Order: sequence, then C-alpha cells, then structure tokens
Amino acid sequence: MSAWNWLAVGGAAVVALVVVAETRRRGLKSIRGRRFFRHPTAAPGVFVLVFFVTIAAAAPLVAPYPPNVQIDVDHPDQPPSAQFPLGTDPLSRDVWSRLAYGARVSLSIGALAMIVAVTVGVAVGAVAGYFRGWVDTALMRFVDVTLAMPRIFVFLMAVALWERLPLWVLVLLIGLTGWFATGRLVRAEVLSLRERDYVAAARALGAGSARIIFRHVLPNASAPIIVSAALGIGNVLLLEAGLSFLGFGVPSPAPSWGNMIADGWHKMAVAPWSATFPGVAISLVVMGLNAVGDALRDALDPRREGP
Amino acid sequence: MATWLMRRLVASIAIVFAVVTITFFVVHLAHGRPCGGGDVQPLPPDVCDRVCRRFGCDDPLPVQYAKYLGRLVQGDLGESIGLHRPVADALADAIPNTFTLALAALVIDFGLGLALGIYQAARERRIADIALGNIALFVNSMPTFWLGLVLLLLFAERHHWFPVGGPGDPVMCPRIDSPRCAIDFVWHLTLPALTLGLVGAAATARYQRATMLEVIRQDYVRTARAKGLREQRVLLVHALRNALLPFITLFGLSFPFLLTGAVLVETVFAWPGMGRLAVTAIFQRDYPVVTGAALVTSTMVVLGNLIADALYAIADPRIRVRGA
Amino acid sequence: MTDRLAVFALVGLALVGGCERKPTCAGEYCGTLVIATAGEPDILLPPVSEVAPTRDVTDQLFLKLADLGPSGNTIGDEDFQPQLAERWEWDTPTTLVFHLDRRAHWQDGPPVTAADVAFTYDVYTDSLVNSSSRTTLRHIAAVTTRDSLTVVFRFRQRYPEMFYDAVYQMRIMPAHLLREVPRDQWRSAPFGRAPVGDGPYRFVSWKAGESIELAADSTFFLGRPHLRRVIWRYTPDQSVAVTQLIAGDADAVEVLVTPDNVKRARADSQLTLYPYKGAQYGYLGFNLAAPGDTTKPHPLFADRDLRRALAMATDRQRLLRNVWEDLAKVPPGPMSQLWWIWAPEIRELPYDTAQAGRLLTRLGWTDSDGDGIRDKDGHPLAFRLLVPTSSFVRHQYARLLQEQYRAIGVDVQLDEVEFSLFNARSRGGKFDAVLNVWTTDPTPSSGFPQTWTQAGFGQLNYGRYSNPAVDRLVEQAVASAASREQARRVWRTAIETLNQDAPGVFLYATENIAAIHKRITDVTIRPDSWLALLRTWRIPADRLTDRDRVER
Repeated sequence: MSAWNWLAVGGAAVVALVVVAETRRRGLKSIRGRRFFRHPTAAPGVFVLVFFVTIAAAAPLVAPYPPNVQIDVDHPDQPPSAQFPLGTDPLSRDVWSRLAYGARVSLSIGALAMIVAVTVGVAVGAVAGYFRGWVDTALMRFVDVTLAMPRIFVFLMAVALWERLPLWVLVLLIGLTGWFATGRLVRAEVLSLRERDYVAAARALGAGSARIIFRHVLPNASAPIIVSAALGIGNVLLLEAGLSFLGFGVPSPAPSWGNMIADGWHKMAVAPWSATFPGVAISLVVMGLNAVGDALRDALDPRREGP
Repeated sequence: MATWLMRRLVASIAIVFAVVTITFFVVHLAHGRPCGGGDVQPLPPDVCDRVCRRFGCDDPLPVQYAKYLGRLVQGDLGESIGLHRPVADALADAIPNTFTLALAALVIDFGLGLALGIYQAARERRIADIALGNIALFVNSMPTFWLGLVLLLLFAERHHWFPVGGPGDPVMCPRIDSPRCAIDFVWHLTLPALTLGLVGAAATARYQRATMLEVIRQDYVRTARAKGLREQRVLLVHALRNALLPFITLFGLSFPFLLTGAVLVETVFAWPGMGRLAVTAIFQRDYPVVTGAALVTSTMVVLGNLIADALYAIADPRIRVRGA
Repeated sequence: MTDRLAVFALVGLALVGGCERKPTCAGEYCGTLVIATAGEPDILLPPVSEVAPTRDVTDQLFLKLADLGPSGNTIGDEDFQPQLAERWEWDTPTTLVFHLDRRAHWQDGPPVTAADVAFTYDVYTDSLVNSSSRTTLRHIAAVTTRDSLTVVFRFRQRYPEMFYDAVYQMRIMPAHLLREVPRDQWRSAPFGRAPVGDGPYRFVSWKAGESIELAADSTFFLGRPHLRRVIWRYTPDQSVAVTQLIAGDADAVEVLVTPDNVKRARADSQLTLYPYKGAQYGYLGFNLAAPGDTTKPHPLFADRDLRRALAMATDRQRLLRNVWEDLAKVPPGPMSQLWWIWAPEIRELPYDTAQAGRLLTRLGWTDSDGDGIRDKDGHPLAFRLLVPTSSFVRHQYARLLQEQYRAIGVDVQLDEVEFSLFNARSRGGKFDAVLNVWTTDPTPSSGFPQTWTQAGFGQLNYGRYSNPAVDRLVEQAVASAASREQARRVWRTAIETLNQDAPGVFLYATENIAAIHKRITDVTIRPDSWLALLRTWRIPADRLTDRDRVER
C-alpha cells in the first residue's frame, strides 16, 4: 500500500469529519437537528457512514490493487503487513482493496434493496390503510402469511427459481422480502392520519385518492418511513452476509462484504483476517445505521422526548 | 374470549395452510431435481429417475399437490427423499434440539437484556450507561453467524474453554443421566446459545433502557419516590412491572425468530436442529421435508403470536378483546 | 432427546448426589475411537444407500463374501481375502462356487446361510429396490444355493474382473429379517436405522445429525475387534471436523483435505498422520454437444484444436500448488491415484501458453477490438463454467482458472450453483464447461466406460466425448486382457489417445492423509475403504484414557 493510498484513506476520514462537523453546525440551528445530535451515538454514526461511503466512492484511490487481481497465487493468505494492511485472502487478493470495492457493492445493494422495500411497503401500506375494507384485509393477511415464513427459507427457495441468478434479481428479491414491517407501519400511520381534519378538508375540496395519499397523508407519515429505511439497509447487509455464507449472494469474483466472509471462513483457523475484517466492516456500518436510525426516530417524532 | 380465540385459531390455520401451499409450489418449481447422492458421487441417471418417479415427479404439479394434501389431512407428512425415513421422524429428532437452543438463547436474551437495560436506565448518561450502550449497539449490528465464527475461533480453537460443536460428548455422555453430563450438556450449549442470545440481548437492553426511562418519568414512579422508597425498590418493583408489558409482545415476535434465525448458528456449531434440516432439504430439493419444515415453523410462529396476544390481553386490563 | 429438556431437574438431582460413570475397563479390548466427519449416512442399508459415507459404517456391520487384498489387485481371484466365504472354486470358467464359513452368524443368533446370499443378490438386482450398484452385477446370470453353506454364481461370460464384480459391491443381508419388507419399501425400511449385521461391530445408536455408535461383537468369528466402541461424530463442515480432532473431541479424521488442516494436524503432537492413495480426481470437462441439445455440436468445444489450446494454456501445477500444495498430484489423464493404471509416464499435452496462443490465433481467435479477450466474427471467446457452491476446492480452482484463461484472452464466467442444480445441469448437458469430480472404484473397468466412452452417453459422460479408437481399446482392456500387465499397456494407449483429444483438463488426483490419535496403534488403511481393516486397530492397555475405559 503506497503513501498515496494512505493519504486517500486519511482524506476519507477528513471528509467524514468535515461532513459531521458541518451537519452538526447547521443541525444545531433547528429543534430537530438539536434533538438528533443530542444522541451521543449520532455523530459517530454519521461519521462511520460518511467514511464508508467516501471509501466506496473513492475505491480506486484508496485501494492499492484492483479487487480481483490475484497477486501471487503461490503465496496466498498473507497476514496483514505494510504492503497488505489487512492481509490477503485464499486467492491472494488484497483484502483491503476488496473491502473498499466491496463497500460499493454492499452499500449499493443495501440502498437499492431498501428503496425497493420502502417503495413497495409504502405503496401497500398506504393503499391498505387508505382504502381499508377488503383491500386492507387481503393485503394484511398476505403480510401475515409471509411473516409466518422464515425469510431465509423464502429466499433460498426463491433463488432456486432461477438457473443463474442475475444481481438485479437478487436485489429485487431482498427488497421484496423486506417490505412487510414497513408496510404494516405505514398502514397504521395512514389509518390514523386519514381521519384527521385536514384530510377530510382536502376530500371535501374534491381531491382524488391519489392526491390525498401523496400530498396529504404520506408526507405526514414520513418520519417512521425514514427511520425504518435506515434500519432496513442494515438488515439487508446482514441478510446478504448470511446468504453468502450459505453459498448465495453476490456472484464472484465481484467483492461484497458478505461473500468476502464466505470466501475466508474456511480458513478462519489459519488466516482469520480475510473473514474477520469484512465482518467488522458490516458491523460498523450497521452500527452507524442503527445509531442514526435511533437519533432520527427521536428527532422526527414529536411525541418522544429524546434521552 | 372464547369466540376471539376461535377466530384467531381459524385465521392461524388459514395462514399455515397458505404457507404450506406457497412453499409446496415454490420448491417444486425450483430448478434441479431431488435425487439423493453425495457431493462427489452422484447416482447413475437411471437410478435417479426411478427415485424421482417413486416420489411422483412425473405427475403434473396440481396432482402432486392434491395427493400431498390428501396425505396431510390424514396426518401423514410423507417420506423424505434424501433421509430415507418419514418426514415426521426427522422433524421429531430436530425439534427438541431447536427448542433447547432457542430456550437457552431466550434466557440469555431476556435475562442479560433486562438486567443491562435496567442497570443502564439507573445509571442514565453516566459512563457505564454510555459504554454499555455502545457495546450493545455494536453487538446488535453483527451478523450472527460471524459472531459465532469469532467466538468459536477464540474460545474453542485458540483456548479450549468450550467444545467445538455438537450437542454433547458422545463418549462420556451419550445420555444425560448424571450431573456431570448435565454440566457437559450446558457446556456444549453455551457458545451457540450465546451467539444466538447476545445479539437479541443487545436489542432487548436498548429497548428496556428506553422503556424504563419512559416509565421512570411517569407520575406514579414520582409518587413512589416521593413516598421515600429506596431507589432500588422504585426501579425494580414499580417501574419494572409496567416496563415489562411490551416484552410479552417482543417475546411473541422473537421466539419464532430464534427458531428459524438459528439456521446459520446451527451450521456453525454443528447443532442438529430444524434450521439445518430445512436448509439441507432445500438444497437437496427434498420436497416433503421442505414443506414439512414450513408447516412446523409457520405453526410455531402463529402459535407464538397467539400466545403472546392472549398473554397481553390477560396482563393488561386496558386491552379489551373483542367478543370477550 | 427429551431427556435434554429434563436437564434442570438433573442439576437438582446432582445436589442429592447422582451416579457417575466409572472408568473401569482394563486390558486389550477397551479402546474407544471417535471419528469426526462431515458426511452422514442416509440409511444403514447398503443396497439402497445413495451416499458414500454410509460405507464406512455399514462395512463394520455387514460382510462381503470376500474382500480386496492389500495389493488392491482386482483381476482374477488370487489377491482376494476370505470374509463370509472361507474358500471358493471354479466349477467351469463361468461357474463360481463359494463355501461359507460355518462360524458366521447374524448378531441376533441365526447362522449366515447360502439363502442369505441368494436373497441378497435378488435384492441388489431388483429394479424396485433400485440399488445404485445394480449395473455392476449385470454379467451374473444367476445365483443359486447348493446346500445351506454353498452358493453358486453363474456368469454370462468370462472376463478378467468377474470375481471382483461378484464380491466387491454386495454386502450380504439377513434374509430372515428383511424378507417381509416389500421391495419398493426398502428405500426407507426401518431396519436401515437399527440394522442387525454379521460383521465385527453391532449397531448401538444413531442420533440424526449428531452421531452413530457401534460396539464390538466380542464373538466375531474372524477375530474379536480390539476397539470396543466406534463413534462417528457428524459436523456440517470438514474443517470443523479437524478442529474437533485438534481440540481432543475426536480421535480420527479420514482426510484432512486442505494443506492448512495438514499443518494444523502436524503441529499437534497427539496426532499421527497416515498418507494413502486418494480415490478422487477433479477435472475441467468440456461439453462437446450444444448446451441442452445433444443433437448439435457445441459452438466452441466441438473444435478439438480449441480444446487442445485451452488444455495447453492451463498451468495445472500452479493451480495444484495454490489449492493442494502437496496433497494431490496432477493426473496424467482421467484417473485417480487409486487406479492401478496410474502411471506418470503416460503422455499428455504439454503446458505451453505460447503454443496455445499460436493455435488460437491460427483458429481465427484474435483480439481484434483490443479489450483483452479474443474474438472471431464478432463473437468473443467466452464460456460459462459450472461449479457447485458446496465445494471449497472447486470454488477456488474455478476462480484461479478464470484468471489463467483471462491471461490468454479467454473470458470465463462462473455459474456457481447449489449442488442439486449442479447435478441436474451437468446430467442434462446444460453447460459449456464443468468442474467435476469423480470418486472412483479401485478399478477403471466400469467407471471409465461410464464417463469417457460412448457407453456413458445419457449416463455419466456429461460432456459426450467419444472416440471410437478409445472405445475399442477400453473394451479390449476390460473384456479380454489376460494379465494386469497386458491390461495396463492397453489402458495406457487408450488414455494417451484420449489426452490428445483433450475432452477435459485433468486438474488433480487426491492424495489422502488421515489423522489419528497416537495412542491408537496397528493402524492399517486400505486406500479403497479406509476403515476396512478397523478391527485390527488397537490401543495398548497402558495407553488407555478415561474415555476408553469408561463404562456405560
């Protein structure tokens, strides 16, 4: 690893620090911002997330090697050193470089799958909550059924429906098996919001259902949606890791943190670094997301008093 | 109450039925055929075809489904393709293992979680609270199986403090019939249960801390304090009782997770439970085992929810059950 | 199992004072052997079992008529050793008469009789039972009994390995316990989970997913086994099995598989390592037919020169060093080290990337658009490689190959699929190339034709390679070779011809290393079945541990 790479990593840390400082400075001007940053873990959480996103974006700068290059297949499993800060894996690829490029893959899968899940969850929740009646019953019974099936089983079976699983299908599947909680949450919010006076007023003025849902109901239900999205990305990362461990997940050689663990765990006893570091990375990012999610919940929910 | 229970029961049966149906079709539509054989010694194709025919692979899917339901209503879960035995037997072997692990994990989850949560609430914003809060946040963010791998590496391989896997020592303790073997059993259970329980305990602790803090600010706690009761008593008796209520729901939600979320932990620790059985069956396209496992797990999930709801209704007078 | 739930009650009992197991056994016959392994049997009933690990257990329970000797010679009958049959003779060149040992008996009492043998043959060849060894018995016309201890095998023709076919696959079954089981119910007969045999060990218990325990039969007629208990512990992964071994939770592991495991085991002073010949070979197989349509040729791999170029571009030694270090050899053709036709001097295509590159260029594959991948008529030189996710070794090989081929301008995409899908796709010919492994019998006579000649079409010849010259030579070696030396020469010519056609790239042939606790002595391992001689292994009386001496 060259001085340039170290400099780039330092740069990423500086970027993250600056972002934290700046958002904090601006945030403290508003009540919500103050509530957000009153959370002791909020600022570190933002720092971790921004740091990893920067690393992902700047992967070519921070990574000394391309992610898939097999540096010296005659000498795999090198321990961490100045040349390989996190060691090399069983295929003699640089773990740090894969971690940096893997951040791209893992974080974008997390974000994309969450967008799918939130979109579907919001749509179903809003429709069920707003229209009520048999639509609500049908949708909610469906959610009951799916919640009674272990997610990982559903996933394993669904994966086998494809002979060769494209990455976008994987993302879609993760999203489509992850919206149930959001759906219920949004439904509950909508059920209570639709009875409010301003909604009744809008209806009296002749606004259509779609307009009422999108203009009046959903914006007011956004707080729990944002929070559940933040927590949901973390769940996707954990799920991807579990699936990779079972032999699914992102097809190789593309690095994802999940399949890095899967590649390395056979050698846990002799070369623990190649499975340990991606696990730490997942834990850190999920921790950041949880911290930010907690803080957001307090900041956005007027009924709660933050700690 | 009786009608409420009846309605819930009917709904539960409908849910289980739907789960079995969906599972049946999805697993049959999956690519690949069931056909015993090991990793490196597949069966000759003609042998494989006869195996498949025996299990009705050639019938159209609706016919297979009808036949399966026909047997199911008679209480017959069918015969496993890969395990060469009735599905019911295979499940009966695995369920107690899963239950033991889940119960142990639950004890750690709630025991440790509650204790930490209360302790943190009592030490609010002091160093102990903040440190524990951060640790809990980190543990709660780990992939469970990865935590298992790390624990295994540290405590079984590097230092032989715990066994490497399996539910017991087959030489000294083939049965649990002496105190020594009971200890051996607990010793084998510790790491997998910790792995499964710690992540939950971290979540429980965070949750419990928040509820405790909310409750502490309520009037009746203030009253109790004003009466001059000792802080410990205020926290443990007055506040805790009310803060516990949501846990019944949490229990209903987390018990099924412990049953099924154990898949990866079971693999890491060689624990012969339901999760491993089901995942292997999905890989081998052992259709009867997959549907059987889906039946059992979904039944446990709906039962868990049902029990939680019932407990909640009994415990909290504010909740009125319709029809009660 | 339910007793586990009562554990807390027992903890209470402990205070009152419970009964402890006392280590009291002393002498020559006390040992306990715990074997850690990743493969669990499916059913302890040899005719219907479909997985390889079953054999380790059932070979301690059920005897064959005769078994392979230490030489491993499968031709003729000279090198076979008596088991159930104390002797045999040939009435005519196609009539083989076995005389059973009158001391042999089933563990529930009755003697083993000729009727049991005839019954067993009948079961193995019954299509309702659907035994996977049925084809190996196809040359036998009939098995009849002459008297209660004499059984007669009649063959359809005379050939070098007729004796091997008669005895090697069949484990004799107890007719008095299994006659009533309907033939189509054998597959899941309850007997298979609580078997009664005639071998050196008898069945004690089977905890699904956990362990199987056998106990020595002290009255065993060929000699009392020294180890009185054998226990298999099952884990989902072989590296966990090795960890159990090193942690002292187990005494033996059949194969260490990876160099890391060997290093770990070597570092443990409690263990002794026993190398023996491996029965597996792994290869990159090309599909000569179009994927999913056996009537059309494959757009790339029907071209012999292209296959040869790829074979020459593969640095097999380098791949081997990364994955296996010295735990495997590069095979000189499609063969395992177990096969007696193994010979390093068999000629192969050389490793020569320059020549491979020139050959590709001559075939019209050049990198005309400068993307690093060769192309012809607008098509890139690209194919998909089918790999099972269940195998760490093949996973590793696939990705190393991907990089090696990229270096000569060939683009390889991996299809990593779970095992049942891998099986279905390779069987159905739905692949361009496949990373496959075969576990072989001790002789190539039935496995080789099934996998590399026309006879294997629709069977295990997934890539549909066939060369009439090879087919003819193989037929000659199997059917008429008079001696092992003569057969070896014919085999060699056949394999050299095949190597020139490059139907695959033969990557590795395993070399096994078993790791066994050093207190166990007199360990002999027969490569085709590592526990075949288990009853002679022993633990000297002065080396017994509490685990050996504990009473149940």
